Order: sequence, then C-alpha cells, then structure tokens
Amino acid sequence: MIRAVGLTKRYGDRLAVDHADFTVEPGTVTGFLGPNGAGKSTTMRMILGLDHPTAGSVTVDGRPYRQLPAPLREVGALLDAKAVHGGRSAHHHLACLAKSNGIPLKRVDEVISLVGLDQVAKKRSKNFSLGMGQRLGIAGALLGDPGTLLFDEPVNGLDPEGILWVRNLMKSLAAQGRTVFVSSHLMSEMALTADRVIVIGRGQIKADTTMREFIAQNATTHVRVRSPHIGKLHELMTGNGWQVEAAPDEDGALRVHNVTSDAVGELAGQNGLWLHELAVVQPSLEEAFMSMTADSVEYHAGLNGLDPGSTGGVPGSGVPGTPGTPGAAGAAGTPGAPGAAASDQPNGGAR
Amino acid sequence: MSTATATADAPTGPAFRRAGFGDVISSEWLKLRTVRSTFWTLITLFAGSAAVSLLICVAAADQYAKDRAAGNPDASPDIVLLGLAFVGQIAAYVLGVMTISTEYTTGAIRTSLTAMPRRVEILVAKAILLAVIVFVVGLATAFACFYLGNIPLRAKHVGVDLSDPGVLRGVFGSGLYLAGLAVFGLALGFLLRHTAGAITIGLALIFIIGGLVQLIPGSIGRWLYKVMPGNAGGQITQFGERNHNADKNFAPWTGFTVFILEVLVLLIIGAILFERRDA
Repeated sequence: MIRAVGLTKRYGDRLAVDHADFTVEPGTVTGFLGPNGAGKSTTMRMILGLDHPTAGSVTVDGRPYRQLPAPLREVGALLDAKAVHGGRSAHHHLACLAKSNGIPLKRVDEVISLVGLDQVAKKRSKNFSLGMGQRLGIAGALLGDPGTLLFDEPVNGLDPEGILWVRNLMKSLAAQGRTVFVSSHLMSEMALTADRVIVIGRGQIKADTTMREFIAQNATTHVRVRSPHIGKLHELMTGNGWQVEAAPDEDGALRVHNVTSDAVGELAGQNGLWLHELAVVQPSLEEAFMSMTADSVEYHAGLNGLDPGSTGGVPGSGVPGTPGTPGAAGAAGTPGAPGAAASDQPNGGAR
Repeated sequence: MSTATATADAPTGPAFRRAGFGDVISSEWLKLRTVRSTFWTLITLFAGSAAVSLLICVAAADQYAKDRAAGNPDASPDIVLLGLAFVGQIAAYVLGVMTISTEYTTGAIRTSLTAMPRRVEILVAKAILLAVIVFVVGLATAFACFYLGNIPLRAKHVGVDLSDPGVLRGVFGSGLYLAGLAVFGLALGFLLRHTAGAITIGLALIFIIGGLVQLIPGSIGRWLYKVMPGNAGGQITQFGERNHNADKNFAPWTGFTVFILEVLVLLIIGAILFERRDA
C-alpha cells in the first residue's frame, strides 16, 4: 500500500506536486493519469526516495522508501527504460540489482524468461529497442517478487503484442494481491487496465475514484440517430419527454440522452419511420480526462479551437454527460491535438 | 511451553533478510567488473605506464648516466617510475570519475538508488573497491615500471636497486598514490555528476594548476604549491636527491597524509550532496 499525505515538491517557484493526498490499495491496478508534466514522474520518484519532498510524506507499507530493509523485495519499479548502463548485458544488469538486495541469482534467469528476453540476455543493452528496454525494466521490477509495483508509462515503445502482455501482467499482479500503481498520459490505455484511477493535473489530484465511477460520471452514453424523417422523429421523441439535441456534425443526426437505442428504434418502427443510423455512442474517456485537466495543461497550443464541445454543451443542457458532447467526430479529432500540445511543454518538473 | 507460545504469536516477519553492506559491496564489485571501461582503463594504466617508463629510460639512459657521473641532483633514479606520472595518474583518476559519472550520464543511478536507497553505503562501497583494485593494479604497474625502466639504465651501469634508499617506499607509494587518485576522481565524480567536467577539472588541478600556483608570490604561493593534491600526494612516489628540497615539498608520508585528508574531505562533501540531492 502506498500512502501520500500532503506530498509536495517545489522546483524554484514551480509547484510540481501540490499537497497530494492519495492511497494506492493492494489487489487493484491503480492508474495514475495526467498530461505530460503534470507531476506523475515526480510523484513516483518521491515514492521511490529518489527525490526529496519539499513537504509532506509518502510511505510504502507504512515506511518511507529509504527505510525499507530490502527495497527490491518490497517495491519493484519501472521508471524509464533508459535507466540502465548500456555497456552492461541484460543479465549482468539484473545480477547487479539482485546482489544489492541479496536476491539469489537464479531469480535473474527466471525474470529474464518471464519477460521473454532469453535470446538477448547476454547482449549489451545499449543495442536494445525501446520495447526490449521496457521489458528489461519490467524484469528488474519483478526481480524481488515485491508486493508493490510502480510502472511509469510502461507501454511506451511496446508493440501491440507487448502492450497486451503488459496489461495482462499488471492485472495478474494485482489479482495476486499486490499493489500496482501505473502512470500513463493515455486515458484509453488506463480504461482497459486500471480498476482505480487517480488523476493529476498541474501537481494537484483532480480525481481519486474507481474507473467505473469515473466513466459513469464523465462519459455518459447517448443514442445517435439519423433518419430521412428526422423532423417527425424529433417531434415524437420530445413528445415522450426525452432529451434530444442536434448532433454537432450537422448531418441532420440527433442525439438522445437517457434512453436506450432499443426505445428509439421501437418508437421509429411503431410510427413507420425509416432509420439510416442508430448507434449508442460512448464519448471517449480521453475527452473526459482532457476536460478535467484542461486548466492544468501549461500551454494550450491551439486547444480552444479544436475543442468545440467543451464550450457548447456544458452550460445549457445540464446533462451529466456533457464533457463528451463533441461526439464521435470531435472525439476522434481531439485526442491527437491536445496530446501534441501537452507534449510540447518543457518537461523540467518530470526530469 | 511459553517459548512455543511466543514463537506462534511472533509476527511472521518478512521472508527475506535486510540488504546489508556486504550485499552493496558484492553488487558494486559486479558493476565494476561488468563494464568494459574498467578493463580498458586498468589495461591502459598498466601497459601504458610500463611502456612509457621503458621509453623514457631508453631515451634518457645516456644523459642520465652522464649526469649521475657528474653528480647532478636532477638525475634522480625515480625516472624509472615516470610512466606512472604520465599515464598512470590519468588512468587511475579517470577510472575513479567514471565509476560514478557513467551512472549519472546513463541514468542508471536511478535504478541503483531504487535498489539501494542507503546512498552513503553505495559511495563507501565504491570507494573501498576502487582503492583496493587500483592499489593492486597500481602496485603491479609500479613494479613493472621499475623493472622495465631499469633495463636500459643497467646497460649503462646506473641501474636502480630496490634496496636503495626510498625505492621500495616509492614503488609501494605509487600503488597507494594511484589508489588515492582514483578515490579523488570518485569524489569529484559524485560532486559534479558529469564525466567530462570531472575529468577536466581534476586533471587541470593535478597537471596545470598544481604547477601554476608557484607563480603566486610569497609564502601563499609556496604553501599552495605544497598542498595541491598532485604535489602533496605525489611525494610518496619519489626517491632520489631531487626530492630532498624540503622547502618546496612535504616529506613523502606527510605529503601523502595531506593528500588523503584532502580526498576524504571531498568524499565527505560528495556523500553529503549525494544524500541530499534528488537523483
């Protein structure tokens, strides 16, 4: 279990982490989400005793990291794939780590097989691909068979097969009762892996909840319907007291809230109306995450122009799902652009 | 019975033991052995120093023999160890710097400190291992220099004998001095966390500034010259008449003690910063 109390890190006049309070429980995968530079890596480095908090504290199983008697046996961490001496072979790198904590060397071969690096174990790691480097980092994290695992952006550089492997690995580690804390700037990735989610933006904890609840609160579904008799259908639906609005992509489609697609289809059928499209739309979680942390992204390069929904939907309708209002077209378009904007900012706090 | 109860009630402690200093030593020893730069630096130290000693003695044997015959005090028998002064000093110092600076430049320091967050233990382990390895290799190198350098001198009947005054001390002292230089490099590596920066500053201190401070007039300049690390520490490697200028230099063991104190002070500052700084 990881517990942060008032955890604060200041670099000059910049607050990288601002009075963060959170608890990471065992037995679940907890996602740590935030745009680049939000304070994720700084927080993780403070958990691992690499950076000293300016104020507050963070403990692993009740103890500050530096007081752990054999840290690798209790906490495994993947910080970044490049944190190895490239002149050393994968096997020797892991053996050096194992020796420092009195871990038997046969465990080194075990973790090498576990991450699938057997073929290259004797090769110098400087020639490893990013994906192989990530696997080596994960092998190091698993070395001491620890009860707590920290992964900082573990799927970076992995191919689809590797991503699936990491997802399943994290889930199985949590299922074994371990504490798994994994950071990402990709909401979509987290939605597939994490049971709980802690959202950080500009050093502040913005949300700390279950993934299910986060989705329910931030990404309500709606029904999208397109019909040649759209005027008549609109009338019937509003007559039933349903919340209907025009979809923003102006192809005449409507969005209906708080009803099932079954109900919309049946209503059309009963009235002999043709439907050209009937779909349940789940706005991207990326969208919800973006709107939650939008004010904490340090440089809004072109963000406003690319995000029509967040201004249009919210004030009038009062519908809980409004962060998702840009709909399919908006959701498809926006994740790329703000992501690029976020990664443009200097990463001073996270290094 | 009470014993059995106590055993049953005792909290089941972790199924592993605390990582101790011995574990840190064996980890750091493996780290040193598993990078090629360690081997190359030590091979350079040995072969480079021995070869340079031999070359210098071959080139200087004639003049040296004449100067000895004329009683010129500048013709000092420690000419046989000159290869160490040129190549050995640099190699030992560079090895010391790289032992820590490469961990910083590669980012491996974060992995090391995650595995072993008791940072001072890492620093002490590195210092001990470096001192021992460089002493052993340095001593072997000093003997190699001594025997190789003697070949051309013996041919001119001006060979140096281990039983001559100060010679054995100089040979052993060379091992000690190189070990101290390696730890000096380690300390500067911890302070600067940058390979090129630490190498430049250290070598400038030993080879350039160490000589330049003589230009400062008066007793301050003389004192500074005496205490500069290369000048103070190097005294233990020297023997023969040239070294008898007690006004200019410390006596061999005094100089070496001053040098070791300087190294320890830097190492302690390095340890304090290492402990306090973010990795």
